[in-house]
Amino acid sequence: MTTSKKLDAKIPSGPIQEMWDKHRFEMKLVNPANKRKYSAIVVGTGLAGGSAAASLAELGYRVEAFCIQDSARRAHSIAAQGGINAAKNYPNDGDSVWRLFYDTVKGGDYRSREANVYRLAQVSNSIIDQCVAQGIPFGRDYSGMLDNRSFGGAQVSRTFYARGQTGQQLLLGAYSAMMKEVGKDKIKLHVRKEMVDLVIINGKARGIIARDLVTGKITRHMADAVILATGGYGNAYYLSTNAMSSNGSAVYRAYKKGAFFANPCFTQIHPTCIPRHGESQSKLTLMSESLRNDGRVWVPKKTNDKRHPSQIPEEERDYYLERIYPSFGNLVPRDVASRNAKNQCDEDKGVGETGLAVNLDFRDAIKRDGLETVKAKYGNLFDMYERITDEDPYQVPMRIYPAIHYTMGGLWVDYNLMSTVEGLFILGEANFSDHGANRLGASALMQGLADGYFVIPYTLGNYFASNKFEAITTDDEAFVEAEKISNQLTDKLLAIKGKLTVDHFHKRLGEVMWEYVGMARNEAGLKKALKEIPKIREEFWQNVRIPGSGEELNIELEKACRVADFLELGELMARDALERVESCGGHFRDESQTDENEALRDDKKFAHVAAWEYKGEGKKPTKHLEELKFEYVPLSQRSYK
Amino acid sequence: MSPTCCHSIFTSSVGRKYIMAITGLMLSGFLLVHLIGNYLLLIDPALFNAYAHKLTTNPLIYGAEAILILIFLTHISLAIKLTLENRQARPQKYYVRKLSGRGATWASSTMPYTGILILIFLVLHLIHFKYGALYYATYDGVEMRDLHRLVIEFFQLPLHVAIYVATMVLTGFHLSHGFWSAFQSLGFDHPNYFGLIKKISLLYAIVIAVGYSFIPVWVYLSPYIAGGTH
Amino acid sequence: MSSSKNMTLNLKVWRQKSKDAEGKMVDYQLKDVSPDSSFLEMMDQLNEELIAKGDDPVAFDHDCREGICGMCSLMINGRPHGPEDETTTCQLHMRKFSEGDTVVIEPFRARPFPVLRDLIIDRTALDTIMQAGGFVSVNTGNAAEASAVAICKCDSDLAMDAASCVGCGSCVAVCKNASAMLFVSAKVSQLALLPQGQVERRDRVLNMVKKMDELGFGNCTNEKECEAVCPKGIKITNIARLNREYMSAALF
Repeated sequence: MTTSKKLDAKIPSGPIQEMWDKHRFEMKLVNPANKRKYSAIVVGTGLAGGSAAASLAELGYRVEAFCIQDSARRAHSIAAQGGINAAKNYPNDGDSVWRLFYDTVKGGDYRSREANVYRLAQVSNSIIDQCVAQGIPFGRDYSGMLDNRSFGGAQVSRTFYARGQTGQQLLLGAYSAMMKEVGKDKIKLHVRKEMVDLVIINGKARGIIARDLVTGKITRHMADAVILATGGYGNAYYLSTNAMSSNGSAVYRAYKKGAFFANPCFTQIHPTCIPRHGESQSKLTLMSESLRNDGRVWVPKKTNDKRHPSQIPEEERDYYLERIYPSFGNLVPRDVASRNAKNQCDEDKGVGETGLAVNLDFRDAIKRDGLETVKAKYGNLFDMYERITDEDPYQVPMRIYPAIHYTMGGLWVDYNLMSTVEGLFILGEANFSDHGANRLGASALMQGLADGYFVIPYTLGNYFASNKFEAITTDDEAFVEAEKISNQLTDKLLAIKGKLTVDHFHKRLGEVMWEYVGMARNEAGLKKALKEIPKIREEFWQNVRIPGSGEELNIELEKACRVADFLELGELMARDALERVESCGGHFRDESQTDENEALRDDKKFAHVAAWEYKGEGKKPTKHLEELKFEYVPLSQRSYK
Repeated sequence: MSPTCCHSIFTSSVGRKYIMAITGLMLSGFLLVHLIGNYLLLIDPALFNAYAHKLTTNPLIYGAEAILILIFLTHISLAIKLTLENRQARPQKYYVRKLSGRGATWASSTMPYTGILILIFLVLHLIHFKYGALYYATYDGVEMRDLHRLVIEFFQLPLHVAIYVATMVLTGFHLSHGFWSAFQSLGFDHPNYFGLIKKISLLYAIVIAVGYSFIPVWVYLSPYIAGGTH
Repeated sequence: MSSSKNMTLNLKVWRQKSKDAEGKMVDYQLKDVSPDSSFLEMMDQLNEELIAKGDDPVAFDHDCREGICGMCSLMINGRPHGPEDETTTCQLHMRKFSEGDTVVIEPFRARPFPVLRDLIIDRTALDTIMQAGGFVSVNTGNAAEASAVAICKCDSDLAMDAASCVGCGSCVAVCKNASAMLFVSAKVSQLALLPQGQVERRDRVLNMVKKMDELGFGNCTNEKECEAVCPKGIKITNIARLNREYMSAALF
C-alpha cells in the first residue's frame, strides 16, 4: 500500500513534538501592511468558521463570512453539552499533551493522522486561555479555579465545561469575537446565504456562488482563499442529532469541484438518544452518556413483550450488556452499546410503542443511592427526558436508542488544512483528519476551535505568502459558468412539479442509510444500499414537488437542494463502507469481527485514509489512499470483555 | 463625565428611565408629606388652617411650587413621550396577546391611563382647593384662609367624595407599580432586599390610597356618625 | 401512525408572502396530530399537507430543535414559545394541547424585527447590538493563562445564568413596548460580572444601549413579562444591573 501521489499530507519532518513549532517557523509570513490586500471567504459560522473568521480579521485579512441561519450564533456547535478537552493538567492527575494525543489516536481506532492529532493536543491549552479571556463562564470550584470533569475514553479529568451548555458558550465566544470584527467592518457577514458552488480559477479556489435564502438571488463572491467550515453530513440519515439545516452541500459541491472526500463512511452513533416516537419525528435528541454510569440497560427476555416494564419480573429481564460484557457492563464504548441495542431490537425484543428502544433503568440506582442522589446527578437530564416523552424516569425506565451524531469523515486536508484544491481549506467537522474512525467525547469542540483559532491563521498566511494571485473579477468565465449551473439546478428542481415532498425522499434515503450504512454494515446490505439510493435519487428527480419559485424565500427549495446532495453523498458513504472490509471505530463490518463479536481492525490492508475523487455524474469515483503511519502510538486491538 | 455622557442621560432609554424614576420618587415623597398635612384637618381645624397658612405665606413657597411643577411636568411629559415611542416600537399588533400572569399586572399595564386620570384630577384639585372659594378665619388675631371649611363643604357632595376616592384608588395602583419600578430602574435589584422593596411598595400604595380616601369619606359620614349636622 | 390519542386542531396562522406584502391570518384544520410530536413537527405535518394540496408551506424559523440555538420563535396563543415555562417552541409538545383546540400562531412582532415571510422574522437587530459592544476585545493569541485570575464561583455562576441567553427575541416579542432590555442586560451582566469584561465595561453598556435605542426598540417599563416567558429563565435582576452599569458609566 502506498500513498497516492495526489495526497501529499505535507507533514513536517522531525520528531512529532517539534513539528508544529518547526513548521510555524518555516512557513512564510505576510507583512502586516500587506495583510489587508488578501481576502478570505469563510463558509459556516460554527466553532471552526466563527473562530477562523474572527482570528483572520484580527490579523488584518479581509474576510467575508457566510451562514445559512439568521445569525452567526446559531450553528449546531451550540448543541454540544458535555465539554471541551484540554491538556491543562490542573487536577494534577497525570495529564499531558502527550496523553491527550495518545488517547485521541487510540480513541480514533488508529485511523487518524498522528501529526494532526499531536498539534491538536498541543494547542488545546491555548483554546482554554482564549475562551476564558473572552468571558466564557466556565464551571469553577469554590476556590474560584477552573473545574474539570472526566469523560469517556480517558482516565484523567481534562474536560472543561460551562454547565451543560459548553458548546453554546464557546460558540457565543467565537461569535462575539466575530461581532467585534463585523462592527469594525473587518468581516462582511452574510446571514441566510447558502454557498451553492465553489469557483476555481487557474487551479485555485477563488470564490463561491451563494444563494440569498430570503430573496433567492444568486450572487458571486471572490477572494484569495476559500475556507469551508460547514460541519458534518449526519443528516444523510434523515434522523440524527444534527440540526435541521445541517447539511453536506458545501463540502459535497467542493468535492464535485475536485476536493477529495476522505473516509465518508466514518460516522459516529450515540447510544443514549431519546427514541423516535413515530412517523412525524423530525430529529433526535441526545442525552449525556453519563447516564450509563448508573442506569442499567435491559430488554425483556421474551420477544414482542408489550407488558409495562414494572410488570416484567426480574428473571424475565435480560441485562444484555452486563451479560455479554461482564467486566465493562453498561459502560462499554459508544459503538458497542449502540450495536447491541440494535441487535436486541432486530430480535424483536425492543420496547416502547415502536419497538425501537431499550430500557435504561435507574430503579437499582435509586434503591442503592437514594432518590436525592440520583436527582442531583441527573436531574436536568431526567427533566429533559420527561418534557419530551411525558414519562417520569424516576418511576419508569427511560427508553433509549442510538442515533447518528457526528461524522468523522470529511474533505481530505493536508497538515495545513488545505484540501486537494489549492486555496480551499476545510476546518472542523467538515474535514477528516483528527478523529480517525471514532471521536472521543469533548473533542469536537476542541478540534473546531483549534482549527479556527490556532491553525488556519498560520497556514493561510503561508498560502498567501507563497502564491501569486492574479487579479480577477466576478465577471470571470468561471463565475459566470458556476452561477449559470447554480441557476440551472434550482430551475431544474422547480420544473419537476412532481407529487411527493422533499421530506418524503429524505426519509426514504434515511431509512436505507440507517438500515444498511448504519451501525453494523455488511457486503450484502451495502450493495443493496448502492442499488436503492440511486433509485430513490432517480425518483426524486422525477417526482419531487417544490411549490413556489426561486425568487423568494422558499423553504422547500432550500431543503431540496440539500437532499439532492445527500442522495449522492449517501451513495459515496455506502461505497466507502463497502470497500473498507474491516471494522474500526464507528464503522463495523459484520465480516470483520473477533470470535467474541468484537470489532476487528485489519491494519495490514486498511491503515489508510480512503479519499474519493469525483469523476463526473454517473461515474464511479476514484479512490486514493493516504497511508497512515503510527510511529508514536503503537497499534493495538481494543477489548472490553 | 464627558458632555456626551451627560447628554445620554436625557436621551437614552435607560437615562430617561432614571428621570422617570427620580421624579416619580419625588412625587411619591410629596404625596406622603401632603397626606400627613391633610390629617391635621381631622385633629383640629385651627391647626390645619395654621399649617396651610404657614406654608403659603413662606416666601420659599414660590420656589418650591416651581420645582414641584417642574417635577410634575417632567414626569408627565416624559411619560407621554416614552409611551408614544413604545407604541411605535410595535406597529403591527398581535392578533392574540396573553399575559403570563407572573409579569404584567393591571397596575403596570394601565400606567399611562392612570397617569392621565391623575393629571386631570390634579387640575380639578387645584381648581377646587387652591383656586376654590375664599373663606377666612382668624386665629390669635391673624386672619388666614379657612381651608378647613372649604374641604368640609366640598365633601358634602357624594359625587365629590366618589371622584376623590376613585382617583386615590387609581393613584394607589399607579404607585404600586411605579414605586418598586423606580427602584428597579435605578438599579436597586438584589435578591436580598428586593422582596422587601416590593412589600414596602405595596404597603406605600395602600397607605396613600386608603389614607387619602379616608378623609373625604370621614368628612361625608361624620355628621351621620355624630348624629347631627354642621 | 394514526392513533386514538391523536387530535384535530384548528390553526390560525399568519401568512405573508414577503417583507412588503400584506399578511393575514389563515385558518387550517389539522387532523391526526400526535400528542407526542413537538410543536414544530406539527407544523411539519401541516406543511406536508399544504404541499400535497399544491399550496405554499408555512415558512418558520427553526434549527437545532433541542432548545438551544435560539432560532425558533412563534407567538403561540398570544405567548412567545407557547404556554410552557422555560421551554422553546421546538421543545413544546402537542400533548399540552387538547382535541379541538384553536391554536393561534403569529410571528414575533417588533419594529426592528420585520417579517420576511409567514412566521420568519429578521432578528439581525440583535446582532447589531452585539456588534456595538457585546464582546471582550481580546484578539486570538492575546490571552493570559486561563487560571491566572480566580473568579468567585458566585460571580461565575451569575455570569453563566446571564450567558445562557439564546438570543431568540422572545423578550422583545412579549414586551408591550418591544424593548430589548433583557437581551442587552444579559450580555452586559455576563461581562460586567467577570474580570475579563472590566476594561470595556463603561463603553460596552453605553454603546449597546445607544445601539438598542437607535434600532427602534421600545423602553422598558419593568413589567417583567420578559422574565416570565424567557425560555432560559433570565431574570430582570440583569436589567437592574444594566441600569446600574449605565448610571455609573454615564455619570461617574
